Amino acid sequence: MQVFHIHYRNTQGTLMRILNAASRRALDIPSVLAEPAEQHHRVTLVLEVTPKQVGQLSRDWYAISDVLEVHSGAGLHEHGGARPGWAGAHPPASESNGQSARAALA
Amino acid sequence: MLKGADIVLQCLRAEGVDLVFGYPGGAIMPLYDALEGSGVRHVLTRHEQGAVFAAEGFARVTGKVGVAIATSGPGATNLVTGIADAKMDSVPLVCITGQVRSALIGTDAFQETDVFGVTLSLTKWSRLVKTLDEIPEVIAEGFYWARSGRPGPVVIDIPTDMLKAKKEFSGPVKFTPQVRAADTKAEGGFADTIVALLQKAQRPVALVGAGAKLSGAIPELRRLLDDLNIPSFATVHGLGAVPPQSPYYLGMVGMHGTRAANMALHETDLLLVFGARLDDRVTGDPTRFAPQARIIHFEIDPAQLDRVRACDQAVIGDLADTIPAFHAELRKPPTHSTSSGQASRKTGETWGTQIPDFREWRAIACGPERAELDPRGLAQPTIRFLDELFSRLPEDSVVIADVGQHQMWAAQRYRSSSPRGFITSGGLGAMGFALPAAVGVQLAKPETCVLCVSGDGGFQMNIQELATVHRLGLPIKMVIIDNKYLGMVRQWQQLFYQRNYAETDLSDNPDFVEIAKAYRIQAERLNEAAMREFPVSTETGDLIDSFLHSPEPELLVFDCHPEANVFPMVPAGAALSEMMLEED
Repeated sequence: MQVFHIHYRNTQGTLMRILNAASRRALDIPSVLAEPAEQHHRVTLVLEVTPKQVGQLSRDWYAISDVLEVHSGAGLHEHGGARPGWAGAHPPASESNGQSARAALA
Repeated sequence: MLKGADIVLQCLRAEGVDLVFGYPGGAIMPLYDALEGSGVRHVLTRHEQGAVFAAEGFARVTGKVGVAIATSGPGATNLVTGIADAKMDSVPLVCITGQVRSALIGTDAFQETDVFGVTLSLTKWSRLVKTLDEIPEVIAEGFYWARSGRPGPVVIDIPTDMLKAKKEFSGPVKFTPQVRAADTKAEGGFADTIVALLQKAQRPVALVGAGAKLSGAIPELRRLLDDLNIPSFATVHGLGAVPPQSPYYLGMVGMHGTRAANMALHETDLLLVFGARLDDRVTGDPTRFAPQARIIHFEIDPAQLDRVRACDQAVIGDLADTIPAFHAELRKPPTHSTSSGQASRKTGETWGTQIPDFREWRAIACGPERAELDPRGLAQPTIRFLDELFSRLPEDSVVIADVGQHQMWAAQRYRSSSPRGFITSGGLGAMGFALPAAVGVQLAKPETCVLCVSGDGGFQMNIQELATVHRLGLPIKMVIIDNKYLGMVRQWQQLFYQRNYAETDLSDNPDFVEIAKAYRIQAERLNEAAMREFPVSTETGDLIDSFLHSPEPELLVFDCHPEANVFPMVPAGAALSEMMLEED
């Protein structure tokens, strides 16, 4: 299980779009917690996903106009909670394969 | 004081809209009542799907936002296929739908549908208007999202009471998005990385998709490819981005792409992707797609990365910015630590000659002889017919293809350098697209020759738009490739379902010539026998010329062999290198 925290402006349909990114992949959503967080809102999702889907989902969520931040947590059972989000400025291009162009050059 | 409907129209004008496509009905009536004198021209189609496809045609050929209008309930749901099509193919589209009055929402009122919910997963952005005051902001924001970044569809659902109510109106507004912390563009560092990868690569290639056109970066892309001089090819939506006469161009790639393009893609060790999604029709089996390649993906929308195959380096940003940045780095004088453009060009020339049978493949794909890969010869008259049509088209014509075998034949034979000259429903593959889309294209480009190529199945899916063509007097040239089958499905049934032609027989088609005449449109039939001689007879040539240059709308029905097939073909799930070149 993977934990995701998504911060968003609570505009019409934004939460539904976030959930739809998971449901269109036929992912079960065993846990959803949406709540106000500071000036905006945050939804915490627990999903069973493949490593490739982690990157795909993050980029899909970030493509939603009113999504502000996407954080991927560690596996629920391994670490019991979320870790900070991406180190870079935006969801990484190849979150799933862990390769970088610099590595490819090596 | 202005009515909500007047405010909507003034906001549309402020967004530069002077042409919309639609179909009236109960909940949207106040908007129609306000049209006269608004400065917005409304084109009545004969079905809401016709309206949304026409708006798409307008948007695809101009790059502007297309606007479709429909009423609530069935009117709105009839837009759904077009909205999905616009999402898949990155078409800027705003759909305005009427909704039942606010007090009735949620009561299953007459012609009530939750169009906001229905289209949520298909739209880039949408709103159900809740107050009269928010109309200007909603329209401004909707247009912003429709045209920004990777363009896409927007739905604005307006309850009928909002359209009728009045308020003081201080004028349209502008929308300014809030910048998000993670909204960044590619930084300059990517360019030297790619140049270094190019220096190491032995077999680099370039794949061009629709994004190159949408960004308006075609001149920059062409200059870059000329300098790189590496084998290059296009997706169906990338056709026209690279001039076909370019010595390094290998044609279309993918399921029905050329052997040259698919084999070069299979053999490459460095793939540069410019604005393409790399969907399954392009990649074949993703686990065997470009198996030796590192992939550099130039893309404006991060959500398009790694969907099918992971890339090694993403270059996020508008191609109009990232291509010149890369090109500038490529042209820098060589240093001890980076490659030079000169080195890259040399690599490209070498690679071309290293591909087995490269020159032969290129000749097949793009050379003047363009040998037909059709051993049984059943498709040759049709292919020759399309060649005759395309070769006689005036420069800067626009070809709109529907969906099916004729679409792939047209894509294979299309030879134009016009970036917006070939339009089709590529991602969604929506039959019935071409005729209404041609209406939108012709209205956007009244002086341009617009050729609409359909199959006998797809043409009947929006055949009612012949009435629109006639009403407007649009000189669209319509061709039906009539094989009396749902041809592409039949081809799959033949090849993969032991010729079980289940429910694909259309041999009881109506007489399309007589149908067109009933719509008061001139029509003729051309038998494929006319295409068996090469070059074609003067009589046939004159018929085609007359058809193409008539100032009136015309339909030409071409009889195609029922069992003609499209080759090459990569079977679903196979690698690009496993193309079928014939039936056995």
